[in-house]
Amino acid sequence: MFKLNLKIALRNLWKNKGITAINIGGLAIALAAFVLVMLYFTYETSFDKENPNYDHVYIVGINYPEFKTDYAPAPFAVAIKQNFPEVDRVGLVKGSSFELTIKNGGNTLFTSKILTVDCNAAKILNINPSGGLVKPSGDAERLNYLSNESMKILFPDKKDNKPEIVGFGASNLGITGIIAGSIKNDPHSNFNFDGVSISNKLGNRDNYDMNDYTIYLQLKPGVNVLSLERKITDLYRAELLKNKVGGSKDELKGISTFLDPLSSLHLKPKAGNNTPYKILIAISVLGLLILLIACINFTNLSIAQATKRAKEVGVKKVMGAFRFQLITQFLIEIFMQCFAAIILALILAELVLPSFNTLFQVQLSIWHLGNDLFWQLPLILSVITLIAGIYPAIILSGFKPILVLKGNFSTSKQSYVLRNSLIVFQFSIAVVFMISLLIINSQLKYMRSQDLGFTADEVVYIKNISIFNDPLKFEPVREKILKIPGIKSATVATFVPSGQNGVNSYVANGIKANIDFVGVDFDYFETLDIKLKKGRFFSREFKTDTANSAVINESAMVKYGIKNPIGQTIRGCNIDYKIVGVVKDFKTQGFENIVQPTIYTIKEPCGGNKMQIMLKIEQKMMAGALATLKAQWSDINKQDGEDFRYLFLDEMYGKLFKKQEQLQTVFFAAALLTIFIAILGLFAFVKYITNVRIKEIALRKILGASNFQIMKLINSSFFVMVLIANLISWPLAYVLTKKWLSTFAYRIDMPVLPFMLSAVVTVLLTIITVSIQTNKAVKAKPVDALKYE
Amino acid sequence: MIKLENIEKYYANKGVKNYVLRHVTTQINKGEFVSIMGPSGAGKSTLLNIMGMLEEPTYGSYFFNEEDVTHLGERKKIELYRNHIGFVFQAYHLIDEMTVYENIEAPLLYKNVSSGERKSRIADLLDRFNIVAKKDLFPNQLSGGQQQLVGIARALAAQPAIILADEPTGNLQSVQAEEIMELFKKLNREDGITIVQVTHSEKNAGYGNRIITIEDGVIKEDLKIG
Ligand SMILES: Nc1ncnc2c1ncn2[C@@H]1O[C@H](COP(=O)(O)OP(=O)(O)OP(=O)(O)O)[C@@H](O)[C@H]1O
Ligand SMILES: [Mg+2]
Repeated sequence: MFKLNLKIALRNLWKNKGITAINIGGLAIALAAFVLVMLYFTYETSFDKENPNYDHVYIVGINYPEFKTDYAPAPFAVAIKQNFPEVDRVGLVKGSSFELTIKNGGNTLFTSKILTVDCNAAKILNINPSGGLVKPSGDAERLNYLSNESMKILFPDKKDNKPEIVGFGASNLGITGIIAGSIKNDPHSNFNFDGVSISNKLGNRDNYDMNDYTIYLQLKPGVNVLSLERKITDLYRAELLKNKVGGSKDELKGISTFLDPLSSLHLKPKAGNNTPYKILIAISVLGLLILLIACINFTNLSIAQATKRAKEVGVKKVMGAFRFQLITQFLIEIFMQCFAAIILALILAELVLPSFNTLFQVQLSIWHLGNDLFWQLPLILSVITLIAGIYPAIILSGFKPILVLKGNFSTSKQSYVLRNSLIVFQFSIAVVFMISLLIINSQLKYMRSQDLGFTADEVVYIKNISIFNDPLKFEPVREKILKIPGIKSATVATFVPSGQNGVNSYVANGIKANIDFVGVDFDYFETLDIKLKKGRFFSREFKTDTANSAVINESAMVKYGIKNPIGQTIRGCNIDYKIVGVVKDFKTQGFENIVQPTIYTIKEPCGGNKMQIMLKIEQKMMAGALATLKAQWSDINKQDGEDFRYLFLDEMYGKLFKKQEQLQTVFFAAALLTIFIAILGLFAFVKYITNVRIKEIALRKILGASNFQIMKLINSSFFVMVLIANLISWPLAYVLTKKWLSTFAYRIDMPVLPFMLSAVVTVLLTIITVSIQTNKAVKAKPVDALKYE
Repeated sequence: MIKLENIEKYYANKGVKNYVLRHVTTQINKGEFVSIMGPSGAGKSTLLNIMGMLEEPTYGSYFFNEEDVTHLGERKKIELYRNHIGFVFQAYHLIDEMTVYENIEAPLLYKNVSSGERKSRIADLLDRFNIVAKKDLFPNQLSGGQQQLVGIARALAAQPAIILADEPTGNLQSVQAEEIMELFKKLNREDGITIVQVTHSEKNAGYGNRIITIEDGVIKEDLKIG
């Protein structure tokens, strides 16, 4: 029975092989996309899952009235450990983003992230040096480890696990230290590092007013987290009160603590934003929709074939087939196609995976043991078989034999409505994606073409460990740099455009406000090609510029409500700055954030250190200038030594666009796939319909209908459906894209063109698809069609 | 075998009842070969469909083998089809995707007849109907008469006690029709299979041993012949 069903199913599919191939192909493409989405979803939701303590690890974060943070004072960790027996371990972690150069002979390593942890944190977070976790002796000793990759750079031939002596910083400084061994850095973890420094105890000298550690708890199994959270809040308030930090009892009411599980850390940390989570959900929904659209193709084809299949159902029932036997038969047919599609999908996914990995900057693979896909795939297979087979399984199998056998059977009106609604649904989704894609494109195009207010081209940012807070200290460096042909200007600042600035409180015009500040050197504005609005830039001719001159931007002018800023005073950091110039706003932080009111000063006593060197280099002479810089760097900048590292500012700034470009690619794929699959489905559907209607078409021709009239007749219903689909999607797409656009401080007005364009494209595609099929039927000679009777 | 008591059937159309069958009471015994005759639209097919439980009467009772089957669930009906009733249709209704062999085999598969038994039964039927050479062909490769032979073979495969046939020769040339009628007669005589057929032709009706004539939904005449 099963064998016969299989054989008949194959025969059936073979008879309609064109249509079958189209359906399987469409489903395979959708499945490939879905498999990738699943891989990505699994990856993103399983960060740190390898940690045996995964379910019991929590961060202790602090709720302030205005914000939440993961940073807490170190002594609090001790207090928690002392007070709560249900807490198994308490660990402290501090991440540094300080740049460090480590050397072994000619091999140099630049670390950008060293994790400082205590022994308990290492245990909690499953940070295990190869060879096992060793307790440092005493409270002062620190055992430093490097990630395996870092180790390879310094000691390419190292095989053993013995400690090594390395140099820190430029070789002429003569600072050395010991690397105790290596640690595996797992990119699939929240804790990434170039190296780890482990000590017995951290934050010994810290007080309750120094929130610079992250506290990790490992709870005993079965602990009630909510009640522990409350108890920890009480403890925190009590400790603050005891240590006279954080104000009065009433003020402390506004402060509380929270426990954030390790599992939320990657996607939706309480102290952070959950955009990654939202993006993940959005991508998953996209994947599901694409799959759904492909499944609908099966249903529609089943509906198209319903008249014929209904006869089969009737006859078989009369021959003694139970309904469930017919259901099984239909499902086997669909299953075989889904199975073929899944095999194809895996091949496709494998082919696309490299590009996918590059786009999302992950390392996913299909063929590895323990991949969740191996149990997910059979599940998907069953689910899509059910979705695609739901119509034949439920509706077709339920037909009463008499209706069919009487001979005047035709599919019910409901089936037509269902079929048409499904087509409308498919195209609605496709149109939403298309409009979204077009709008994303316009916004990105706008972002690329907009005047940023500064020029990042030709600007090279040099990483450096020397501090140039005093302009006199930078002057000799600048002189040497400017001697190199092609270099037009050089400056140093506390922050680079594309990154965050510092925030501080300044008073002007009687208004006190927190605004951004940047400590700069001469030629800062010239190097970045920032436009002056009023007054002047900093200049060596004015002695006071290095003491108390300030340049502010337009937004700051507005913020303080200053009409004539030149000569006015702005006070901050215990200095009365005199405003000497106003620059036009420039977008240092991309398009999502509004330009912040900012003050630029040469004397900047309370902010960061001026270490970020920026050079403007003529494009034509770039390569030569960089080579010369590298060669001369140890001479130019003694402290930094031979370690010349640079980045192009435009590339750094481009990174701000990265997420949006990802989104653009995802939507491009989604729009393309949905349109493609929907059109494929339509193609197969119309092909079948015209095959069935070929006699009707011939008859109409004999009755005098022109080819055009017949084409019009068949096209018109599809035309109407696609039009309805557009009408449905427009408001939907409008709301969605409006929401997306509103995440940008600088954005395009909602364009009309994408809406028009998607309507035109879908209607044209539909008419072309339908016409290709009907054309064949129309061109056929009526006699040929009618002969077979 | 079949007992109909006061069967009525009407279709309500805008509140108006259009009677198709009225007060039909009759009985068909095991081993009979009954022909139902009458003008077009008289309700012949409807009566046969009711006997085949494809339609339900609006009023009245129907006993099949002494069992009340007037209102039967689909599963019960299908069990009766499997074991007792064979259908033959005017339009043959073979399954296009199945070969002759498979078409005949289908009812046996649903009945879970063992493979050896299936083989011998089908071989026997093919042989008896002289269509061994056609067994691997598809229905569209056969003439109408051949298709109807397959249709009858299929109806017989499950060894039913009764065959219901609605104008089995309606689409056939007279030579082929005669062949089919001869076959029916033989099945009735030699195998004791009860046969009920609807026919327009006096000649065909002559092969049987009883003629029921219907006009406007009412049995006008019930005649034993032969
Ligand atoms: N579904 C229905 N709805 C309304 N009327 C119906 C329906 N099915 C059948 N009829 C009517 O019932 C009457 C009897 O139909 P039936 O098919 O039994 O006739 P028949 O005697 O078999 O005729 P023929 O010799 O043409 O096959 C006809 O008048 C037909 O119009
Ligand atoms: Mg009839």
